[in-house]
Amino acid sequence: MVELTIDNQRVRVKKGTTILEAADKFNITIPTLCHHENLTPLGSCRLCTVEVIVNGISKLTTACTFPVEQGIEVRTTSQKALEARRLAAELLLAKCPTSAKIKSLAQEIGVAKPRIKVREEDCILCELCVRTCREIVGRQALKFINRGLNQRVEPRIDFSPDMCIGCGSCAYVCPTGAIKMEDKDGTRVVYARNWEKEFKLKKCKVCGNYWAPEEQLEYIRGKLNLPPDFFDVCPNCR
Amino acid sequence: MGKVVFSSWAGKTVDNRGLGVKQHAYAEDLGLPSGYDHTKVAAFMGWDGFVVWDEKVNVVDMAHAYIKEVQKVCCGECMVGYIGITVLADTLARILDGKGREKDISLLQWLASGIKENAGCTFGQTAPIPIIDSIKYYRDEYLKLIKNKKAVPKSNYKVMVTAPCMEACPAHLDIPGYIQLIRNQRYRESLSLIRNGVCLPGVIGRVCTAPCEEACRRTQYDGRVCIRLLKRYVADWEMNSGLTPSSAKPRKSKEKVAIIGAGPAGLACSYNLALKGYQVTIFEELSVAGGMAAVGIPQYRLPRKILERDIELIEKAGVEIRLNTKIGRDLEMEGLWKDGYKAIFIAIGAHKGRKMGAEGEDNDYEGFVDGMKFLRDVNLGRVIEPKNRVLVVGGGDVAVDCARSCLRLGFRDVNIVYRRSRVEMPARKAEIEEAEKEGVKISYLVTPTKILARDGKVIGAECVKMALGEPDSSGRRRPIPIKGSEFVMKAAMIIPAIGQQPDLSFLPDRNQIKLAKQMTIETDTTTCQTSGEGIFAGGDCVTGPAVLIDALASGNRAAQSIDQYIRKGKVTQGEDSKLEIAVKGINLSEQREQEIVPREMPQITSQLPLKKRFGNFREVENGFNAEAALEEAKRCLRCYRVMVWLPAK
Ligand SMILES: Cc1cc2nc3c(=O)[nH]c(=O)nc-3n(C[C@H](O)[C@H](O)[C@H](O)COP(=O)(O)OP(=O)(O)OC[C@H]3O[C@@H](n4cnc5c(N)ncnc54)[C@H](O)[C@@H]3O)c2cc1C
Ligand code: SF4
Ligand code: FES
Repeated sequence: MVELTIDNQRVRVKKGTTILEAADKFNITIPTLCHHENLTPLGSCRLCTVEVIVNGISKLTTACTFPVEQGIEVRTTSQKALEARRLAAELLLAKCPTSAKIKSLAQEIGVAKPRIKVREEDCILCELCVRTCREIVGRQALKFINRGLNQRVEPRIDFSPDMCIGCGSCAYVCPTGAIKMEDKDGTRVVYARNWEKEFKLKKCKVCGNYWAPEEQLEYIRGKLNLPPDFFDVCPNCR
Repeated sequence: MGKVVFSSWAGKTVDNRGLGVKQHAYAEDLGLPSGYDHTKVAAFMGWDGFVVWDEKVNVVDMAHAYIKEVQKVCCGECMVGYIGITVLADTLARILDGKGREKDISLLQWLASGIKENAGCTFGQTAPIPIIDSIKYYRDEYLKLIKNKKAVPKSNYKVMVTAPCMEACPAHLDIPGYIQLIRNQRYRESLSLIRNGVCLPGVIGRVCTAPCEEACRRTQYDGRVCIRLLKRYVADWEMNSGLTPSSAKPRKSKEKVAIIGAGPAGLACSYNLALKGYQVTIFEELSVAGGMAAVGIPQYRLPRKILERDIELIEKAGVEIRLNTKIGRDLEMEGLWKDGYKAIFIAIGAHKGRKMGAEGEDNDYEGFVDGMKFLRDVNLGRVIEPKNRVLVVGGGDVAVDCARSCLRLGFRDVNIVYRRSRVEMPARKAEIEEAEKEGVKISYLVTPTKILARDGKVIGAECVKMALGEPDSSGRRRPIPIKGSEFVMKAAMIIPAIGQQPDLSFLPDRNQIKLAKQMTIETDTTTCQTSGEGIFAGGDCVTGPAVLIDALASGNRAAQSIDQYIRKGKVTQGEDSKLEIAVKGINLSEQREQEIVPREMPQITSQLPLKKRFGNFREVENGFNAEAALEEAKRCLRCYRVMVWLPAK
């Protein structure tokens, strides 16, 4: 167990807990965007910024990534933390002004209209899709392409069609609607601005409804070692 | 002359603008290397501030040139850094174009401070610092540009990007870059980045001395990033997945290059030249390629199949290796010119064992075996009959390798004798510790003076005890024999391993190629040129016994020079090495503000259990698994340092 102070409360939490988790336990809410409790934290949106005081030195950090340490003091609503959140929200809003989710988060944080202009994009590189595909679905259809000294590219999310099974988890988890999914006439399309993949949906032998992408069912069948005809009938008719 | 107009570096400012009283400040006073003065540089900006020597320099222009480079490196993994730096660059460009507004200054200030406080990595947190300084100290210049509403010309700044670890690596690998690719599970790209500077990733991932790790900034918090093991992880991943790297088809050139010696230096040079399209042939004396990596380093540290795979990929890139061909015996060096080779790279290493200076060492006693020969025999699988007691003489890695090999061969009582004390012992600490764990005994402050033999067979050595005197030229305390302390150590085998030197007997005309005092080949260290026309040299035969990464780095440099030599007929110092010289001496670890780093200890790997290490040469160290590699990769702070400067007119 580790003892620390959050907003003047002395609390004890398990070692390895993040500040965000610790705060949550004591009903202190911190805004988040790129965080999901079932995924590895990333620290990309920086909306969860808090002030921490370690050995008398005050610094900012992201609550979702920082594991608590003995004796630290966390201030979730200090001037410094709130200002940093406002800056982060302003930048995100400038990048993606149409997203309802970002608009409401920004408002909550106190930003109505950004002062700055940048090229607008619907993807904010939060990598929720990347992490979901890898950690939940067990595929790696989406990867983050970072820029760097020897990678002179625009940072982006890269899509490998061969790896995609059409489950649509990325579309569910995407906060800005940059990844979308549509089912129509026996096909499903998963798509974003610069990529798409079409899937044939499986028809139930009993009710005749299209119910899931064939590739996804094949993937599950392989993983669970199910008989070849297992998915011929949809769960409703089984 | 210490003429400086303005300096704000590492939190210290010197301001001589428009003052009657001038503070003279030398580069050293500013925290910069002594090469930095107004005769060479007009202005300089980097992660910890900026300096102006020429008052005509437009600081806003410099800030823009700087932030453009920062933007190219900014990874995009945190939005404050990614979007924020983009806006900084756009805003500075606007001001220079004469379209700035007064409120842009406060915008820049707000953003730059915000990024500094809250970007996701060290690079993001330090990069905006000179921008903040420039606004603080050169606000008038900003205002002037904004009021004039006229576009001003942009100067051409020179750029250097590095990191403490990258600078410490002789091959200057893009370490934060390949680590980040591992974190994003893009192993293939990570490995191809590594191969840009290291053509033996599997080998280097195992036995590199890793000077990068010593320079790693994370050491000041909880422990270095395990850079070497991360490299090993991707190399092993590729091998275990049965993949071959997608090397771009090299363009074909008719020009031929000869390389003497298939050690790391020769291999690195050949690989780079082959990628440039040259027809490269390596002539190798032994029946195996790899140099000391094949016949020196024992397999329990470097399994043969790892080396073989790395070499196979070099051959796939188009390099021909002619084994069992010794230059000076099977072919003459002079003949290579007649065969149409346009340049020669000498990379013959240092294989000749030095003499101990003990009586009887030249008597060819049975049981007296030079360390190099011993390890070669071990590595080539020649039968060595284990004896009861063996003395290994020396304190370097070679001695430790000999001793640990002896144990694996079944020698029962393995002893190292070293003439100085533990502190001076040059072998790596971890190696010494493993050796002791395995049962090697080390006698310090002892030197054999006479080899004792009966019927031509070694039975022991007469030794003398030593005391330490004043430091010698190497900085270590000089061992001095203690009179009357002679004693006898019994042994059935003695292995001297006290250092090697190159065997240069094959060189045709000694006057043509200049040698240095230590009987090594003299070269220009940046270009690898010898005094002989069209002849280059690198690796251990130039430096004396060094380490793999030095040999690889010199092979890389030689390839660049040879390419220039063949294309242009002469070698000019590459742009890269000029930049390298320019940053030499800057303390890359320093930064004004320390980051807060949550304590996450380095990942550890398992080792082959002690009792399984005898009677075989199985690899001792295990690599990371995927999870450990990912966790370790996350520990990198990304300490990229961007610098721009304007040369003086
Ligand atoms: C026992 C031992 C352990 C070591 N351990 C490590 C370690 O853990 N980490 C590390 O970084 N470094 C280590 N080193 C050092 C490292 O191996 C050398 O620095 C490196 O191999 C030097 O490379 P090179 O290409 O210059 O020379 P070498 O590797 O020596 O290669 C030279 C090649 O040239 C060939 N040759 C010589 N003369 C001729 C000729 N006339 N014609 C044709 N071919 C010729 C030789 O046969 C040899 O293959 C170790 C060295 C030894 C001896
Ligand atoms: S933390 Fe990363 S970038 Fe910084 S010195 Fe260590 S390895 Fe290099
Ligand atoms: S939620 Fe913590 S950085 Fe996005």
